Amino acid sequence: MNNFFLQTLTGLQISALYMLIALGLTLVFGTLGVVNFAHGALFMLGAYFAVEIASQFGFEVAIVAVPILLFIVGVALERGLIRHFYERSHTDQILVTFGLAIVIGEVLKTIYGANNIPFAKPTWGTGILRLDEYLPFLDGAVYYPKWRLILVVVSFSTVAALFILLQFTKFGLIVRAGMRDSQMIAFLGVNITRRFTIVFGIGSIIAAIAGIFGGPITQVEPELGMKLLIPSFLVVVVGGMGSLPGAVLASLIFGMAISFTAEYAPIQQIIIYLIAVVILLVRPRGLMGKKGLME
Amino acid sequence: MSMSENKSFLSVKNIHSYYGESYIVQGISFDVAEGEIVALLGRNGAGKTTTLKTLARALDPKLKQGEIYLGGVKLHELKAHEAAQAGVQLVPEDRRIIPGLTVEENLIIAQVAPTKGWEIDRIYEHFPRLAERRKQDATSMSGGEQQMLAVARALARDVKLLLLDEPYEGLAPIIVHEIESILQEVKKIGITTIIVEQNAVAALKLADSAIILDTGEVAFRGTAKEVLDNKELREEYLAI
Repeated sequence: MNNFFLQTLTGLQISALYMLIALGLTLVFGTLGVVNFAHGALFMLGAYFAVEIASQFGFEVAIVAVPILLFIVGVALERGLIRHFYERSHTDQILVTFGLAIVIGEVLKTIYGANNIPFAKPTWGTGILRLDEYLPFLDGAVYYPKWRLILVVVSFSTVAALFILLQFTKFGLIVRAGMRDSQMIAFLGVNITRRFTIVFGIGSIIAAIAGIFGGPITQVEPELGMKLLIPSFLVVVVGGMGSLPGAVLASLIFGMAISFTAEYAPIQQIIIYLIAVVILLVRPRGLMGKKGLME
Repeated sequence: MSMSENKSFLSVKNIHSYYGESYIVQGISFDVAEGEIVALLGRNGAGKTTTLKTLARALDPKLKQGEIYLGGVKLHELKAHEAAQAGVQLVPEDRRIIPGLTVEENLIIAQVAPTKGWEIDRIYEHFPRLAERRKQDATSMSGGEQQMLAVARALARDVKLLLLDEPYEGLAPIIVHEIESILQEVKKIGITTIIVEQNAVAALKLADSAIILDTGEVAFRGTAKEVLDNKELREEYLAI
């Protein structure tokens, strides 16, 4: 029972990081139709900003400042670069965002070097929790790192906040409508482009949250963005391009699969790709993909 | 209402529109008086839908030449959302009801940008069937109900120019009759309307005047009665 519970918890923690990165990716794709390969680089930028700000002003300041900074970076990128590629092919979008990711990676490498830099957790997030004190069904002493639980809580809270924003606000209604038919929304007088700029900014905020809370677990180094982008992109494809619930579901499946194959290292290395092949064979549009996207 | 006696409210001057390299609208000009209902007719591929989309300032087709004025506003300089804010409302051929949104959400979204038209309660009074289905996913309704919603959504905005693209398409005769009644009500309100419809007789019954397009150019401009009475014209351009 204890092992099963711990593996489930680890699965949730792995899912949490994939979920955060994939949410931003799929949100931007679903609304803007842009395959943003620079999203991993934004996550990495969030982690570097967090290291820098946390070391100078404290982790709490980083929690507030980094999402604001990344929002500004995201809006600037959308207005200055990405916007010009809305009408271009997905191949062009991938090329330009991939190029952007390389540029961001190289700039960070020039400033911080190629090695990983330490990212200390705040004191309130260090140490381990004895879970059996809170969960009576566990048998004997069961410990789990506090920070990993925090990551899970932050990740699911972000999903919930995004869900509330999209489902229960007028802004969310416009974005949801724009995701389905942006031209018709324009025919109804809504300047959807302005809203989409904000959406890109929100995607960047989610990347910042992933960088702040994921950074202390992953290593903060210039290859970090690419390392996590590929499985996260796979999450988006398996979940269904542009589907937020699909991204959540796919990241949970991937996280659990990685956690429960931990004892079989060779399988663990390839398990998400195997799952992706099977799911895409059965459901070519992914678990919750919509007809017409990327077709 | 005679179109020649009235001061022009909508003025379309020598517009040329393209889908990519395809040259569809090839120099169309016409004027429409305020409150006039015009049937825009022609065979498939004549450029009717392209003309409507050009007036609504859709991204595609691209207007490469020409001018469009609506009550003095230069529509040709506006984007789709700006044209909509200036009072242009397109009810597209495929209705374009937003999937995943309820009937009410489809109406609310029409009132996000200025300027509001009918209040939602007033819409429900005129479209009781929509009131019954207000919480239902709009795309799960029948074709006729979706068409009602598409018209209602346009009325939810302060519409000065209503562009109806094939409002009767794919609907059962009884539903066509219902939509006709709704459009007759719209006519009474005095909204300037251009209606594109394969069912030319139905469109002409509603319209004051008619424009017949042929391969992207205006082939005829006159009253609806003139088209109905002119067998030769109908056979040549409308095949009816």
